[in-house]
Amino acid sequence: MLDFMNSTEHRSNRGHAGACIALFLVLSCLLFSLDGCGVRPKYYTRPDAGAGKIRKIAVLPIENFTSDGLAAERIRKLVIAEILTKGVDVVEPGEVSSVLIDMKIKSLNSLSIKDIREMSKTLGVEVLMLGSVEAYGISNGISTTYPEVSIHLTLLDGATGNVIWSAWNTSEGPSFWTRHFGSEGPTLSETARKVVRNALNTLL
Amino acid sequence: MPLIRCSEINNGTKNMRRKTVGLLKSFLLGCMLCMMVFVPGCGGGSTATYHIRQDVDFGFIKRIAVLPMDNLTGDRYAGDVVRQVVISELLASGLADVVVPGEVVAALDKMGPKSISALTTEQLKALGNTLKVQAFVLGSVEKFGEVRVGNVSAPEISITLMLADAGSGSIIWSATRTTGGAGFMARHFGARTDTLSESVLKIVRATLQTLTKY
Repeated sequence: MLDFMNSTEHRSNRGHAGACIALFLVLSCLLFSLDGCGVRPKYYTRPDAGAGKIRKIAVLPIENFTSDGLAAERIRKLVIAEILTKGVDVVEPGEVSSVLIDMKIKSLNSLSIKDIREMSKTLGVEVLMLGSVEAYGISNGISTTYPEVSIHLTLLDGATGNVIWSAWNTSEGPSFWTRHFGSEGPTLSETARKVVRNALNTLL
Repeated sequence: MPLIRCSEINNGTKNMRRKTVGLLKSFLLGCMLCMMVFVPGCGGGSTATYHIRQDVDFGFIKRIAVLPMDNLTGDRYAGDVVRQVVISELLASGLADVVVPGEVVAALDKMGPKSISALTTEQLKALGNTLKVQAFVLGSVEKFGEVRVGNVSAPEISITLMLADAGSGSIIWSATRTTGGAGFMARHFGARTDTLSESVLKIVRATLQTLTKY
């Protein structure tokens, strides 16, 4: 009789352990599947602009909306490097700065269509790239820190001043493995490069 | 023989007590889980209110100028960040063409209003003619940043967007939306939460959807 009761208790304990494992697996699956619920950025390309035929781009200085004073310059360098790897020519950044000084443009925030036309003519390019950095740094998550980079890039037609391409892109938060198992995530520079590359992939 | 019966009775009572305690534990656990799931649902997440003029045909809007946002937060760039996302989302949604932001600022500089919130109807009409647009997007950022509740921090953003008709200067659409706090799964099980940038994108997209759906 005792043997029978012991075996029943043993079976019940096994049942509890099984339920716990099942619960753990369900929760893990749920957490893993919820991991991919981030928001997907969209982009815009003017249909009649022929963005695929671009041969040379002038990348203007990027506007900085972060507390890191050098974030914009870092992003600009990455944008130039990525455009060059796509096989498209880029105007020397110093040449662009020189033209901006000659034209007495103090702030890119107030660059008018007239200025865009004039710059395009002087630099000998059909398109100009403008941009801004909205986030660049290490952010605090619930249990971990992670690099956060957000950029907005726009391509303007040098003749009309119209926006022919626009892309806003941001990095995602920490991955499942970083949050729960402390695995090493990408660095800030790697994240910035990925964000820039993904944004430019929608154009070139 | 009676001894065996006595131990059987004792074991039976113990088993009964164990079962009762087990049931009670399961009941309490169930109650706690229910409370954790349903209580946060009362105030968290994203809430929105919007107004749209029913007598206006929005089909005439082909080109929009997004004016600089009023920044009512402690973050000096909050207005600029939200403005960039609004421009990007307006273009991506295909709702209308957007004027280059610099052109808008240059036109405003020439006109010289004290602030965007002090723009009169006549000034809006004049600006519309200068920029050759049919409507303006105006707005403000009321909250922008990370909010800390207990040991959990999560993004909190609150924005108001308005669409003004450049011909009459009247507001034809307005929407206010707030988002904030970490969800149930994030707070209790460490599930993924949106970054501040993702939250900005989500809130702007959701706000503009009230217009694009219409």
